[in-house]
Amino acid sequence: MAVTQTRRRFAAGSNAFLVSVFVVAAICVGYLLVDLHRVRLDLSADQGSVLLEDTRSKLALLDREGKPVVITAFSGQRGKKESYFKDRALEDLLDELDYASQVVEVHFVDFDKDRLTAEKLGVTEYSTVVVQRGEARVDIKDRELFHHTGKGDDRHLDFLGEQAVNRAFAQLMAENKRIVYVLVGHGELDPDNHDLDGLSEVAAVLGQDDYELKRLDLVRQTDSPVPRVPDDASAVAVLRPKVQIPPLEEDLLLAYLSGGGSMLFAVDPGTPVPNLVGRLGVAIPAGRVLDKVLVFPYPDRPVPRYKSHPITKDLADDSLVTVVSDVAPVQAAVPPVEGVRSTTVLETSRDGWIDRGGEVKNGQGRFEPEIDQAGPAQMAIALDVTPDSGLVKKKAARVLVIGDSDVFTNGILAEGPGNASFALNTFRWLVGDEDRISVVGRPTSVRRLALSAEDGEQIRWLALGLGPLLIVVLGAGVWASRRGR
Amino acid sequence: MSAVITIWKKELRVYAVNPTAYAFLAVFLFLSGLFFYLGITLTAEASLRVLASNLAIAELFILPMLTMRHFAEERRQGTLEMLLTSPISPFSLVIGKWLASLTLCALMFLGTGILPVILAYYGNPDWGVVTTTYLGLFLAAGAFCAAGLFSSSLLDDQLAAGLIGILLLLPFWLVSRAEALVGDDLAEKLQPFGVLAHLDSFGRGVLDSADIYYFLGMSLAFLFLTYRSLESRRWR
Repeated sequence: MAVTQTRRRFAAGSNAFLVSVFVVAAICVGYLLVDLHRVRLDLSADQGSVLLEDTRSKLALLDREGKPVVITAFSGQRGKKESYFKDRALEDLLDELDYASQVVEVHFVDFDKDRLTAEKLGVTEYSTVVVQRGEARVDIKDRELFHHTGKGDDRHLDFLGEQAVNRAFAQLMAENKRIVYVLVGHGELDPDNHDLDGLSEVAAVLGQDDYELKRLDLVRQTDSPVPRVPDDASAVAVLRPKVQIPPLEEDLLLAYLSGGGSMLFAVDPGTPVPNLVGRLGVAIPAGRVLDKVLVFPYPDRPVPRYKSHPITKDLADDSLVTVVSDVAPVQAAVPPVEGVRSTTVLETSRDGWIDRGGEVKNGQGRFEPEIDQAGPAQMAIALDVTPDSGLVKKKAARVLVIGDSDVFTNGILAEGPGNASFALNTFRWLVGDEDRISVVGRPTSVRRLALSAEDGEQIRWLALGLGPLLIVVLGAGVWASRRGR
Repeated sequence: MSAVITIWKKELRVYAVNPTAYAFLAVFLFLSGLFFYLGITLTAEASLRVLASNLAIAELFILPMLTMRHFAEERRQGTLEMLLTSPISPFSLVIGKWLASLTLCALMFLGTGILPVILAYYGNPDWGVVTTTYLGLFLAAGAFCAAGLFSSSLLDDQLAAGLIGILLLLPFWLVSRAEALVGDDLAEKLQPFGVLAHLDSFGRGVLDSADIYYFLGMSLAFLFLTYRSLESRRWR
């Protein structure tokens, strides 16, 4: 009898155990299936918690190609205002990217703790995101990820990380690097020069954005039987030639421009001005640009005011100063050359002027109306050259003429908080990568609470006291009523 | 269905006259207020996100203690045998008690309703995100109550049942913080099993089918195990 009962118990027990294991396993398998075919619904007001369609399609493309993409995001500075939001926004974005792709590997690194990773990747700034795919790499800086908008109480922080990563994906998927040729042979600034007047730093900054600066010697060209600007040129920069460019080389540059090429001309006071600049309707008058608003203590460093242009947009938004030094005035021809639209990019304040010598007091120039020209004085002009000008054929060309070459040099680049961005934005605009400058898609805003000490005190008592007090009163009421029965 | 409702009403009546329920309710609301206050003073953000992640951990400890008496007490008083031999099926019994616990949880969350009102008074919260945050917390509460019921069905001693319930749920929290214990790679693989990883999307205003299934599946698994545990009394 006892044996039968034990057998029955064993049979029932085994059966119950197996059924339980089976049911729990079925629930786990169900989870795996649901996880594979997730459906996500974003109920947040700005719809900023799930990825944009464009980002998802780029991720799908990356998945199809199968080449791993590693995204390393570095934290903000601990204890610094807004670091909490910045870190959280980056972590949320990484989570979403991780969910959405098989090939994207994400890492969030505490910049203060894990210096080794930062050093390995050559990252020196907080809140930087490095996107790598094989050998190619794009660095996204804090200023590209976060923007402040509004003023006073309405001032808030917007997160633009998804758009920035989206652009980085596009850049990494593009096969070729953008090559910017820097003309040499006439005493110009040199991208391989690491001295204070060299361009090695700006080359490094552009390199992180997948641009490559290459020297262009039109006289000693070895890889082409006929001298010309190479076909792979995305832009050509002529940075402060010390002697006049020979007519033959000017013709080669014009031929490049007429094919829709983009060019950057930088000159300093007293240096020869390429003839092509004049043909585009830009004059470099004698004198130098000075301003009462200056980078102290340098009298030859006027603080440039940003005019409305894609090159200066994020610099103006973030109030970043671009330092210029010893600037030549730049003026658009009046009347303008037909088919060339000019836009001022940098100019002085109303207190600026074009100084043409005269009295110097305490090492500082002084505005003398009889010889100087009153400001605001233009320092950089952007040109859109259309086929109507007769200078270009079918495709419009873009040109920037700036009266200062120091703005790009190693010596000044580190001094100006906005110089690296100015250089980067200049080349982005020249080669037509506007979407990398402008704010696209939808930014995600942080909903802030502006609390005074008094507000904090009120909230403390309301949050901590009210709920428990109500329950105690309710409990006491129930207890009293039961006692009364 | 009527049996489920009968059990549900009976359990709610027991909660209403049980001082322990009030004590837990008061503690829960105090902790909610504390996490809320700390969250907004540290982040100055009109959001319940800090509150949600901390409250989920508090739920993990409080809810098994709240549900510990359900079957352990019945067994200690000898009423469980009576219930199991009555026309009420073990299934109705389990569901009725679970729904009663969930109702109490709903009341607890209702008690925290002052917190979003404070946010709205001082700032401009995203109501979509507030709603999904509460939904996530409620789904987690459902899973934790089911785990508490299961532990209660195993033991006669209420306190032991409560502690076993906490021990059952603890790994689901610890895997979310496993980096320090098992290294980054394994921790990353364990993340999907953690409660906090599945609450994160709710805190951002996103309803994710996998997160919803995670909590519903967890509830279902523990409710089924509770049912089997009660059933086993018939043949043990």
